[in-house]
Amino acid sequence: MDETGNNAVDSARHRVLITDDAQDVHRLLGARLKQERLEFLNALDGEAALELARAEQPSLVLLDLDMPGMDGFEVLRHLKATDETHDIPVIVLSGLQSPADKVTAFDLGAVDYVTKPFDLMELRVRVRSALRMADLVAMLAQRAHIDGLTGLYNRVAFEERWGQSTAENQRHGKPLSLAIFDLDHFTSITATYGHPAGDEALRTFGRLLQRECRQSDVPCRFGGEEFVMIMPETGPDDAANVCNRIREELAKIEWPAHPERAVTVSVGVLGATSPATISPADWIQATDEMLYAAKNGGRNRVMTSRADKADQKLRSAS
Amino acid sequence: MANASGDTGPIRSELAGDPDMLELVQTFVDELPVRAAQLTASLEAGDRDGLIRLAHQLSGSCGGYGFASIGDHARRLERELNESDLSGTLAEVREQGDELVALCGRVVV
Repeated sequence: MDETGNNAVDSARHRVLITDDAQDVHRLLGARLKQERLEFLNALDGEAALELARAEQPSLVLLDLDMPGMDGFEVLRHLKATDETHDIPVIVLSGLQSPADKVTAFDLGAVDYVTKPFDLMELRVRVRSALRMADLVAMLAQRAHIDGLTGLYNRVAFEERWGQSTAENQRHGKPLSLAIFDLDHFTSITATYGHPAGDEALRTFGRLLQRECRQSDVPCRFGGEEFVMIMPETGPDDAANVCNRIREELAKIEWPAHPERAVTVSVGVLGATSPATISPADWIQATDEMLYAAKNGGRNRVMTSRADKADQKLRSAS
Repeated sequence: MANASGDTGPIRSELAGDPDMLELVQTFVDELPVRAAQLTASLEAGDRDGLIRLAHQLSGSCGGYGFASIGDHARRLERELNESDLSGTLAEVREQGDELVALCGRVVV
C-alpha cells in the first residue's frame, strides 16, 4: 500500500521508542502505526526509556508525560541533556490538555505534541512528519561535512577528525601522520584550459586519493587545490611511501582536455610514532612548511619530517 | 454507539468494524474485568493514589480502543480525585468510581 510512497517515510525502517506506563497504549500505538513499517522499542518507565534511547539510538521517541516515578518531563530533560540522545526527536503524548504542559514540553525540546485519545490520522501524519524532519537533519548534517565537488570530507570534517586523531596520538602514543597535497600550477591550468578543466583536475585527484589511500586514511579537501589526508597508525616513512605512490599515479594520468599537459602534486608530510611534541595546530602549520619545501624544491615531490622529535631532518623523494 | 449514562445495555467498541483493531479490542475487553476489580479494591481500601493511576490509565487507553465514553468518565474521575486534595473526600467520588466499574462491566467487543 505504501509502495507508491507519496507520503510514506522513505529509506530503511525507522525505529521508534514508545514510552508509556500503560501496556494498552503500547499495543494500541503498535497497531495504529502498523502501516508505517516502523520497528518499535518499548519502555514502560522513564529509566528504561533513557537506557533504550542511549543503547539503541531510535529515530524517534513517543513519550507519555504522566508516568509514575520519573515523569515524561524529566525523561525529556535527561534525553536532551545527554550527548548521545540529544538529537533524537521526541513527540510528547498526553491526556493532559493544559496549554502550560505543551509549552513546557516544547521548551524542553519536544518536536511535537499529541493528545490522547489518539486520532489515528493525526498520529500517523505527526509521526511521519517528525521522521521526515529527522531524515532531513541527518542528511544536512552529513552534507555539511562533505565537499560538493569531490565527495571527500571537507575542512569542517577534517578539523573534527584531526582533533580526535591527535588526541589519540597524545594519549596512547599511537603513530599518526598528516599529509597536505597541493596541485602544482593549478591557477595556470584554469587560466589556460578554463575552469571546467580545473574542476576536472580536482575531481580526478579526489578520486585518486580515495582509491589509493588505505582503509583507515581520511582524505579531505582542505580548500581550493589543497587536499589533506589524516593517516592513523602510520609513521612518517610509511606515510611518505603512500603519498609518493599517489604523486606518481597522478603524474601518469592522461587528460582528454589537455593531453599535452600533465598535472602534478607537491606533498608535505609530518608524522610521529610517539606522542607529538607540537600542538595539533602547529602540526598542520609544520606540514604546510614541508609542502612549501616541496614546492621550492621543484614541485612534484614529497617532503617529510617528524612531529615527535627535535631534529627535523628533511628528506626529499622525487 | 456507546452510551455511558442511562441505559444498562452492552457497550460496544466504536472500532468493532475495524479488522486491524479487532484482536486488540478483544484483548483490551478481556482484561477489563481485572481493571474493574482493581478499581473496586482501590475504592474499598480508600487507596486514592491507586485510584488516580487506574483512572488515568483508563482515560488514556479507553478512547483509543473505541470506548470514548468510558474514557471520558475515567478522565472526570481522575480530575476530581486530583482536585480533591484530602483523602476524606474519597467518599464523594465513590459513586463515580462504582459507575466506572459498572461501565466496564457492560463492555462487549
